[in-house]
Amino acid sequence: MASPREDTWVHSVCDMCFAACGILAHRVDGVLVKIEGDPNCPASGGHLCAKGQAGLIGQYDPSRVTRPLRRANPRKGIGVDPKWEEISWETALYILTDKLTKVREKDPRGLVISSFDQIALSYFIRPVWAVAYGTPNADWVGYYCGNYLHASMYLTNGSFHSDFDLDYCNYAILLGNQQGFMAGLNATVMARKMADARRRGMRVVAVDPVGTNAAAKADEWVPIRPGTDGAFILSIIHVLLNELGCYDRDFLSCRTNGSYLVKEDGSYLKEGRDGKPLAWDQKSGMAVPFDENGISPALEGWFTAGGERCQPAFQALKEHVKAYTPEKAAPITTVSAATIRRIAKEFGEAARIGSTIVIDGKVLPYRPVAVNIYRGAGAHKHGTHTALAVQILNMIVGAYYVPGGHRGPNLVGPAGRWGPGVTAEGMITPPSAIGHGAKYYDFEEREPDDLGLHQLFPITTNRSPMYQLNLQDPSLFKLPYTPEMLIVCRRNLMMNNVNPELVAESLRKFPFIVSFSTHLDEVAEFADLVLPEQYYLERFDLFPNRPSHTMSPATGQFYWGLRQPVVETQGEARRWIDVLYEVAGRMGFLNDIYKLLNVSMGLKEPYKLDPEKRYSMDEIYDRWTKSLFGPERGIEWFKQNGYHKVPRAVEEKYPGPFIKPRFPVYFENMLRAKQSVKSVAARMGHDWDTSDYQPVPDWKPCPAYEDGKGAYDLYVVNFKIPFHSLSITTQNPWLNDLAEHNPYAYKILINADTAKGKGINDGEEIWVESEAGKVKGEAKLTECIHPQVVGIAGVFGSWAKGKPVAKGKGVHFNSLLPMSLERIDPVSTGVDSCIRVKVSRAA
Amino acid sequence: MTRYGMVLDLNMCIGCNACTIACKAEHASPSGVFFAKVLEKEVGKFPAARRVFLPVLCNHCEQPACKEVCPTGATSKREDGVVVIDYDLCIGCRSCIEACPYGSRTFYDGNGAYYPGYTTLFETAKQNIPEGVVMKCNFCVGRVDQGLDPACVQTCPTECRVFGDLDDPQSEVSQLVAAKKARPLLPEKGLNPSVFYIGG
Repeated sequence: MASPREDTWVHSVCDMCFAACGILAHRVDGVLVKIEGDPNCPASGGHLCAKGQAGLIGQYDPSRVTRPLRRANPRKGIGVDPKWEEISWETALYILTDKLTKVREKDPRGLVISSFDQIALSYFIRPVWAVAYGTPNADWVGYYCGNYLHASMYLTNGSFHSDFDLDYCNYAILLGNQQGFMAGLNATVMARKMADARRRGMRVVAVDPVGTNAAAKADEWVPIRPGTDGAFILSIIHVLLNELGCYDRDFLSCRTNGSYLVKEDGSYLKEGRDGKPLAWDQKSGMAVPFDENGISPALEGWFTAGGERCQPAFQALKEHVKAYTPEKAAPITTVSAATIRRIAKEFGEAARIGSTIVIDGKVLPYRPVAVNIYRGAGAHKHGTHTALAVQILNMIVGAYYVPGGHRGPNLVGPAGRWGPGVTAEGMITPPSAIGHGAKYYDFEEREPDDLGLHQLFPITTNRSPMYQLNLQDPSLFKLPYTPEMLIVCRRNLMMNNVNPELVAESLRKFPFIVSFSTHLDEVAEFADLVLPEQYYLERFDLFPNRPSHTMSPATGQFYWGLRQPVVETQGEARRWIDVLYEVAGRMGFLNDIYKLLNVSMGLKEPYKLDPEKRYSMDEIYDRWTKSLFGPERGIEWFKQNGYHKVPRAVEEKYPGPFIKPRFPVYFENMLRAKQSVKSVAARMGHDWDTSDYQPVPDWKPCPAYEDGKGAYDLYVVNFKIPFHSLSITTQNPWLNDLAEHNPYAYKILINADTAKGKGINDGEEIWVESEAGKVKGEAKLTECIHPQVVGIAGVFGSWAKGKPVAKGKGVHFNSLLPMSLERIDPVSTGVDSCIRVKVSRAA
Repeated sequence: MTRYGMVLDLNMCIGCNACTIACKAEHASPSGVFFAKVLEKEVGKFPAARRVFLPVLCNHCEQPACKEVCPTGATSKREDGVVVIDYDLCIGCRSCIEACPYGSRTFYDGNGAYYPGYTTLFETAKQNIPEGVVMKCNFCVGRVDQGLDPACVQTCPTECRVFGDLDDPQSEVSQLVAAKKARPLLPEKGLNPSVFYIGG
């Protein structure tokens, strides 16, 4: 064999899920022959999951869209052939520029952008391109996004996500999530750290209706009825507070608002109208400002101050949870009272309240327990309450930003580059690097004009489901303009939302749809223009490891990397951001974008963009990296070296004891949010239910809990498998091969006894039908699922001809989901993802 | 002497199949064929039920039954204990498939392309398995000869696989076999596999 002319390994960053693991791509004579984890990347540490490695074969998919396409058939519908005709990029750009110009002239708010491309959205579209164009509607992201969760995290840990310290944790409750089992954020590093933690004896309790991969390896699997996680957690809190008296008094007194006095109406007792909240000083027997030096704040008792009867917030919480005895929670959750009590006791004891540990010469509180939540437990109506209850549980034992406990990723940056904010009441707010938009303490009382209705949902991070509702029924909120154009960028609105018929109805409302996509997918069936998008192995993306999402604190490092092309682009594919920037140039608002980019990227002199000049994206990246890290860290350095890394100091790993702001165990701001929402709703002419804005969380039944009438006797839930992510990976033939050989991936899971009761045998075709839709698939009889639950994995069941590998494979869970105001979480707008179904043999 | 072997910790395998795909990418194995895979089954009745994972590959037996039955000498054992197949000598008689009690071997019928009717540049560059031969895991000898771990070991996110020399008592594999009650699959077959399991 002739020796190859070229044999090289290229640094880049994976994009087969959102974990953004560093990869090394092996290229021989221009052909990609292997992808491995980059040992230089703190996240992958040289390892890589099935998805990341399978990205290789997707590069060579012959079904890729390689040229711009224009629809010839005006009729749009599911399964209707658009009759594509190839056009040149110049024609495509002309059409795009013309349409965007006309929409902007009429009302720029008529433009809607839908994407889940975080890198582009966060830096290049949402804060700059869309703002310069003039639309507030650039945020139609996935319903698989944990929007119920992110707001709860901003509010409690000041960060975007939920994470915990596997270096020291000894007891972890995974509530409807598989953190550490190749699912979720930072999947590879967390799998490595979880394995290490389990080797040294960490106990894992998986609370989940489905016996997932995590449940398979957990020390204990607690099958729970869907949508009742909040009752389970509140009951554990009750046992710890009221039965065992097990809580971290020092942490609650000094690091939370537990000592703040609240009046009988639930609001803080303050020093004057706008003064500081007061706490009861046990030494002086007086109400004093919460942060006065040397006080001994009371956590319990009733006091009279300023003529008001008041109690510490902690006592209000403690009394509130008395309604959640294990005996009451057991029939709700189907978890026995004895199990709830035992887990509460184990959790409380494992927290080792009062203990300390010395790390790098610093004495730190040592609280090696965590309860972790992600989408599963919270993707329900009232999911915000569940997420907040989870955070309260972490806080009452003091397991918050200390060794072994809960943490949000990257609350503080390296050497003070960023850090949390603090309200006048002493409460934590997210650092601007992580959550600049989260304004959860001061509310804007005006009629919203965006499709997400921001002012009506102030405690949120995105309001994507409201886009759907506003499009579905424009009479609902009567926005002062009509959506005219939709740009879809690397997002499958049809697969990853609710029932596709409902989504189709919404998409038909747009006179013009442009989709940037690698394939003629399910969205293309509704698009007027399809533009070939670059595959991630052909793309430049700077800093996919974002502090808010994917820069894992578990690595012990801060790190910044570059996604760069490792092979030549197929056909005429381009990157959607570059195309939209080119259109901005043609339309004449690129100079506005540059001015905004200088702010959003924090560019310093001499790297600021001159609005009168024109830059390639490479040049912008080069200025950005040099501005952040100095002149020697230009884009070329990143291309050659991969990662810029900064080790974390102990204060950056465990910021809890080193920062000033307090964490809320009592959400007094919710009372103000309630007033604001009421007032906004009144202006909009709505009588709005604001009952979920409470200072202490409750468990409330989601609609499915009470819908189990007649034949609709089972719940259906969705769960993750470790080798697929959403619909992104379904067209990958290696991962399809895995799924076809897996006992669960493409099947409908049903408890063996439940199935027998319905005369269903293993391997038979069955129908699963909800009020919104029905799906057919092969029954997999299993012992590893709750008897009242049917389980469907991933986002399978594609139907687009342009995805021949994915087409017809597996079952489409989302077809079963309805969409209405009744079926979303009223605080976060998160879609309720459990629903009642009836199951029957298809034969 | 060197005798390469592997120890897999069943407690740490999370069934993610990173190994399965690493193997596929390394060897460009044909569609539907897995030289390394993760078997799954359920044990127990609800609620005391759970899924268990069993990652499997060629066991590189010390007395390989496949080699015994091979009429052409296509299957041989290297000095370092790795059992390999020479495709030039293999006549596809499939006796070895019958003889292997582990189901580690697959006959290649030539229908291996992942996109039907289309051969990718990757497959053209890397797939060197001729139609009509038998194929299996070769412990990634190409990598091992360069001093690298097999692809499945290199990628495993939980580091549940350890590769090394079973004849070296100081090696990590030998230490694990000695200390952790390591056992092979089907020891009663008397083939002395070089792949051992701990935990589980």
